[in-house]
Amino acid sequence: MSFLKRIQEKFSGSQEPRPASPTPAPSAPSPTPASATTRAPGAHAHVPPKSGALDQVKHLIAVGSGKGGVGKSTVALNLALALAQEGHKVGIVDADVHGPSLQQMTRAARPTMTDDDLLVPSEYEGVKVMSIGMFAAPGQAQLMRGPMVTQVIRQFLTQVVWGELDYLVIDLPPGTGDIHLTLAQMVPLSGAVLVTTPQEVSLIDVRKAVHMFQTVNVPVLGIVENMSYFICDGCDKKHYIFRSGGGKKLAAEADVPLLAELPLDPRVADSGDAGVAFVVSNPSSAVGQAYLEMAKQVKNQHAKLQRDSDGAMGYFLLEWKRNV
Amino acid sequence: MSDQARVKRIWQQDDRTLAINWTDGRKSLYDVVELRRQCRCANCVDEMTRKRTLNPDEIPESVRPVKVESVGRYALTIHFTDGHRTGIYPFERLREIG
Repeated sequence: MSFLKRIQEKFSGSQEPRPASPTPAPSAPSPTPASATTRAPGAHAHVPPKSGALDQVKHLIAVGSGKGGVGKSTVALNLALALAQEGHKVGIVDADVHGPSLQQMTRAARPTMTDDDLLVPSEYEGVKVMSIGMFAAPGQAQLMRGPMVTQVIRQFLTQVVWGELDYLVIDLPPGTGDIHLTLAQMVPLSGAVLVTTPQEVSLIDVRKAVHMFQTVNVPVLGIVENMSYFICDGCDKKHYIFRSGGGKKLAAEADVPLLAELPLDPRVADSGDAGVAFVVSNPSSAVGQAYLEMAKQVKNQHAKLQRDSDGAMGYFLLEWKRNV
Repeated sequence: MSDQARVKRIWQQDDRTLAINWTDGRKSLYDVVELRRQCRCANCVDEMTRKRTLNPDEIPESVRPVKVESVGRYALTIHFTDGHRTGIYPFERLREIG
């Protein structure tokens, strides 16, 4: 029995969040090729047959940061919704098993399960959502060591009916640890968006995240500077609470674009806590517009990297023949 | 930045040779028995001291891959006929030795 099924059964009957919107029936996985050389050149984000649930997912985009508390989940969720508003099919998975936020931020219901033990993700505003927070009772910690956490991540990617998606956004935990390595080894991530706040204490950690992604050859699509400044409602002046220019500096160092400088807006936190994403509740606000612009930039940057990939293979599997 | 070339094409050249065409146009050939002997996984190299614990002479000439599979975007792994399957060969390293 799968680990998540055990959790699901353990908590069945406890609090039921907002009911899920209708979910599509699981679609059959596409056939997997027998030899590495049969894969089309130019393929970018092919995923392993062993993660069949991802067969129809075109691009996997990780949102991370070396640092905690900089707004990764807020950025990840709003990026996912902004991509969905552009007409793409999008899913988001919460890879922060010890500190999941996406259930609170979307109130998405606990996933249902198919007869063959696959999880059917809930939907929020047309975006498929999967988080360990959907399985736990409120206030309950996930007391799991590394191997168990790895198992959860694996199941989130391989035993979920993601169906056909243009983008699957992965909300990473802080740091550069077990979960990051598992993801980097398990799937060919299309790219990473890194979130920072302006001050040096944040930048030193995000620099490490840049280095980690370079080491595992995952392109950094750009830097998002969050909590850049606060506009006082009395004077319209920009107050740079956490210093200024940090995101720009880091982007220049890493030679990647600065995707956005997002102001501190108390309504963003209100939205997150209330389970309504900001691009849904306030699309025309400065922050809402910045998120929509960011989604466009992520798409453009990703498309550019894809054009420049020189026909690199994504996933490959070569069966060795004996006595050739 | 480090060497970011990736695999454009990978195939079995002959009984014991793995061939890779890289995205920068280079072609590399690898003796699979030698790859097994050069494994740097935690079972073959001490993680702390980096000292090799695998004795290359104990690897028979007859060892072959069962399959060669990509690892994310940066490496490949080989399952060998002797049951060994924990080695990860980063592209960057393969480029150095190939």
